[in-house]
Amino acid sequence: MGEKLTHAMESHTAFEIKLFGFTIPVSDLVVTMWIIMAVMIILAIFLTRNLSLVPNKKQNIAEIIVEFINNLVKDAIGPHHWKAFAPYIGTVLLFLVLANTVSIFNIIPGGEEGFKLRPPARNINVAICLAIMSICVVIYAGIRYKGPGGWLKSFVKPTPVMLPFNILDYVIKPTSLALRLFGNILGAFIVMELIYMALPIFAPAVISLYFDLFDGILQAYVFSFLTSIYISEALE
Amino acid sequence: MTGTSIIAIAAAIAAFTGIGAGVGISLATGKAVEAIARQPEAAGSIRTSLLLGAALAEATAIYGLVVALVLVFLKMG
Repeated sequence: MGEKLTHAMESHTAFEIKLFGFTIPVSDLVVTMWIIMAVMIILAIFLTRNLSLVPNKKQNIAEIIVEFINNLVKDAIGPHHWKAFAPYIGTVLLFLVLANTVSIFNIIPGGEEGFKLRPPARNINVAICLAIMSICVVIYAGIRYKGPGGWLKSFVKPTPVMLPFNILDYVIKPTSLALRLFGNILGAFIVMELIYMALPIFAPAVISLYFDLFDGILQAYVFSFLTSIYISEALE
Repeated sequence: MTGTSIIAIAAAIAAFTGIGAGVGISLATGKAVEAIARQPEAAGSIRTSLLLGAALAEATAIYGLVVALVLVFLKMG
């Protein structure tokens, strides 16, 4: 049982790209993320085709999503600068919503050893990448809207004694973002795998409503919400 | 005692961080419910700060979980 669980937790090489004599292994995490990206791009093109002043059915769906993201960012960042950050935060939110709930779309019969759709954030490298992207946006926001001088000055505010703590802030924020996402997704993933092993009939369907859907969407929301809170802190 | 059982006990102790996170989140939720009961029109902004506080409190439990998982899967495997 432990071996099965470890096998499900680890990332595996899905295929290898041979290029100029080098062999580049591509893991199943990357393939899963490519699938998610393809789904997002196709959905975006499909939902925004033939836009009209009087919205039809699919335009309504697109407008609800965009409105929700705009309101989330506007509430957190404030009415002045939210427009510059809404696309990034919306992209991360939609990507994470799909990425964290991807294991419920696992309808391809792949067997135990084959390729399966599993949430990519169960690997800490994916979570750290997303957190580093977020902290880069926070630094960009500080430099862009305060100027380089004003941004450097913000390190010694309110008093110069706070300098080390302000520098530590830029390390602690991405660490806690990454660990929160990774821990939650991995924890929920392990619980679900254990339930698949112990009670394979009926129970997984009910319990995955909480662990896959609710927890995944909540963590995606918390990640993008905290990112926008950090951006608004950098803008102050 | 064998090494494996000591690791299991260590992982169990690491999971005790959940107590603190549970108390923290329940305190925050209780206060938020009180605040919404007193001022229902401020429910939106209370909800956002509640989510933020719950996410921060929950992070401590997650650190414990990560430590326990690392102990179990890296040391035993």
